[in-house]
Amino acid sequence: MIDATKQLYFEDVEVGMDVPSLTKGPMTTAHIMRWSATMENWHKIHYDTPFAVNHDKLPGVLLNGSFKQQWLAQLLKDWVGLNGWVWKLNYQFRAMNLVGEKLTIWGKVTAKRETPDYGLVDLDIGIVNDQGKESTPGKATVAVPLRNGRPVPYPFVPPKG
Amino acid sequence: MSILPEAALKYVGVESDVEIACDPVERGQVRRHAQAIGDEDPMYWQACESNQRYGGPVAQPFFPIHMFRRAYGTEDPVEANASDPDYDGALKVRGGLPEIEPLSHMPVMNGGSEIEFFRLARHGETVKLRARYASITEKETSKGPIILIVSETDYMTGDGELLARQRHTRIRRPVKK
Repeated sequence: MIDATKQLYFEDVEVGMDVPSLTKGPMTTAHIMRWSATMENWHKIHYDTPFAVNHDKLPGVLLNGSFKQQWLAQLLKDWVGLNGWVWKLNYQFRAMNLVGEKLTIWGKVTAKRETPDYGLVDLDIGIVNDQGKESTPGKATVAVPLRNGRPVPYPFVPPKG
Repeated sequence: MSILPEAALKYVGVESDVEIACDPVERGQVRRHAQAIGDEDPMYWQACESNQRYGGPVAQPFFPIHMFRRAYGTEDPVEANASDPDYDGALKVRGGLPEIEPLSHMPVMNGGSEIEFFRLARHGETVKLRARYASITEKETSKGPIILIVSETDYMTGDGELLARQRHTRIRRPVKK
């Protein structure tokens, strides 16, 4: 969750710095079922092992992509703080994640630039399992306030151009 | 040999009507979402310092995307397909877009998204969307050919304020023998 006592400012951000990572798991069928039920997603590859393995030829029941994407947003929401904004996420589900895996959601700053009203920070993001395999590589852009500036405008107004 | 039927390409450019989510942003549903993802941030539950700038309790950024469920009184696909051993339970149609019939026999997976967020939906707000099929292409991978279906969707409040804009990729692949 957001720590209301901390605020990230544009001036605090350096290219190459890591976002404090988020860990999830080890993932169980209960986690997957809870998410699927919350979403009313009845796709059997998320809870019916015989169907996933025998019919769809998968290695087992899979963590939902819709589940994993939530954590990318959570990671960055907590990092940018109350007065920042998670603007863009772009990610691909390149590999499957299975029951038993422990996941680390990570981000690394690749670029930063200042606009008249706030700072923009580009990041590489992803989710690796405890074997070190990346499943969800992507990129993100967040907006953070300038130290002597105002909070990032809300609703968010992208920079012109 | 291509696995992408010519007839599927006719769906590129097809747009949905405006679709309104069957329920508004419900507090209990926001709670279940928060607990399922393991982020019980107070901003999603009650008025607090974290959501003052949003005007009160809000839903998670991705929440509006998951609000388009089967409306009360509509056909139940689980019941309708209960005798079909090949029924996979997947949501075939999203955001008012028609099912791509020539591909409907292929298993579907979530390929990822590009998404921009502009605003969070508050508890009690109505959400609507408008979507279109942007592209349907075939791609060769190390595990064989796949079909990438890209749709673009705007999620808005009932008053038309833009919440999020998503470019979503679904993957269809032939079943391995």
